[in-house]
Amino acid sequence: MSTWVVFRREVAHYAGSPFAYVIAFAILILTGLLFREELVASEASIPNPAVIPNALSFFMIVFAPLLTMRLLAEEKREGTLELLLTAPVPDGSIVIGKFLGAWFYYSVVIGITLAYQVALSSLTAPDIGHSIAAYIGIWLYGGATLSVGILFSAHTENQIVAAFLSMAALFLLWLADLAGQVISNIDAARVVRALSLQGHYSTSFAVGLVRMEDMVFFLGIILLMIYLATRAVEANRWR
Amino acid sequence: MIEVENLTKRYGAFTAVDRIAFKTNSGEIVGLLGPNGAGKTTTMRMLTGFLPPTEGSARINGHDIDTDSIEARRAVGYMPERIPVYPDMSVRAYVTFWAQLRGIRRPAAQVDKVLKQVQLFDRRNTLIRHLSKGMRQRLGLAQALVHDPPVIILDEPTIGIDPQQVIEVRETVRALRAKHTVLLSTHILSEAEQVCDRVLIINKGQIVAQGNPGELREKLQGGTLLYVEIGGASSKEAKALLAAIPNVISAEKEGKGWRLKVSPNADVRGEVSKRVMSAGCTLLEMRAETTSLEAVFLELISKEESGAS
Repeated sequence: MSTWVVFRREVAHYAGSPFAYVIAFAILILTGLLFREELVASEASIPNPAVIPNALSFFMIVFAPLLTMRLLAEEKREGTLELLLTAPVPDGSIVIGKFLGAWFYYSVVIGITLAYQVALSSLTAPDIGHSIAAYIGIWLYGGATLSVGILFSAHTENQIVAAFLSMAALFLLWLADLAGQVISNIDAARVVRALSLQGHYSTSFAVGLVRMEDMVFFLGIILLMIYLATRAVEANRWR
Repeated sequence: MIEVENLTKRYGAFTAVDRIAFKTNSGEIVGLLGPNGAGKTTTMRMLTGFLPPTEGSARINGHDIDTDSIEARRAVGYMPERIPVYPDMSVRAYVTFWAQLRGIRRPAAQVDKVLKQVQLFDRRNTLIRHLSKGMRQRLGLAQALVHDPPVIILDEPTIGIDPQQVIEVRETVRALRAKHTVLLSTHILSEAEQVCDRVLIINKGQIVAQGNPGELREKLQGGTLLYVEIGGASSKEAKALLAAIPNVISAEKEGKGWRLKVSPNADVRGEVSKRVMSAGCTLLEMRAETTSLEAVFLELISKEESGAS
């Protein structure tokens, strides 16, 4: 119940926030340009149906922090967190509600990019299974990046700091995939890749594979980040 | 109803609230009075379930704030000192949000009722960012009242708003007495005197005195005060004359006249006028003086200070 109340408020906030529209606009413009490039480049062959999700897996390094930076940092700065923490609800339900709100908004935005898949099907016969897998992947991947964003937002009352730190963290998680590919020690490389977000996307969902282990990884990251963010919110009671 | 026993909050070596104990009855307005940094806000934060106490316990309507926190929080409406708002929400959406978060499933009727109560009903669709300071203050009150809690905790409800609005907020608070227990903090003494049924004076985390405002004044003043101005007598003569009156504890020069300290429950006015007349002087002025709670308060605080050093 309380999670639902918080969720609805967050969704209403995104729907009424010019900043959220700017981010959606940026995502759609960038993916639109890439889609066009892909069409032009693959004149003779069949375009890659995962091109938009692949691009999003990089864009979310920037956009996830921007979508989540205010979630808890602003509550802290405005003092509304004090009132939230005196409401008769568990601390976790506040964090979960906020996270789900952000994930919902993100889902709507990537939902709009499905229009490119429709356009693609009208031009050629793309591998629908491949694009469905990529979209499932990028949906979970996006959720994980948003959960990292909310964790940093819980730790500061400065939105810029929250955004900067989560960008840095997401960039490292993204780089780890590349690092994993060039490390000569094969076992070390496997460990590094297994810990990166991108490593659970680029060689599975991106090529049309839906693997349980990758889904569990992303959901695990989300749960871990929400748990840690809840602890960070609780810590406000001890100051 | 609020019951507080030995409530203590320490931050490292610093004790913000030191073994506070008090009890409020339902339908009572209790004021926490003290200078800034005395521990008023910390006390309130513990009672609202925001801060856990270091030691001691408190119960809100019988629910322990530590072991039964959710139920205790449900019974409280809280207005923090700085009204926390979401500037992009409308007045009605904001109050509805808090009502739902506190477990009211269909809050529309209650939200409208509380908005009428704080006179914001015709502003219900205004965005909060466009509200004046006084309106925000009333909005803060509205969110604290919307779920009709038995206990209402208000931290400095009249700070930073203009005098007209202060009067309105005070009236609203007084009207709550019928159905709710109210605990409010203030550092304005006249406010505590006007609004509260009982005052707890708190300094350096401890309750230094409590009672209803009238009682407190008498107790600390140690009697009543009378101002007398006499014509046709030298200072010395006048002093001797006045000090000789039974029940007068002391007579001190105050401006052109004299301030007499009189034992409690004694009326010496008749005697004063008789004696002044029979000494051949004239009585130019005589009036009872009431010290405000302000004086009592300062006296208490300075006593504390000198006692400590």
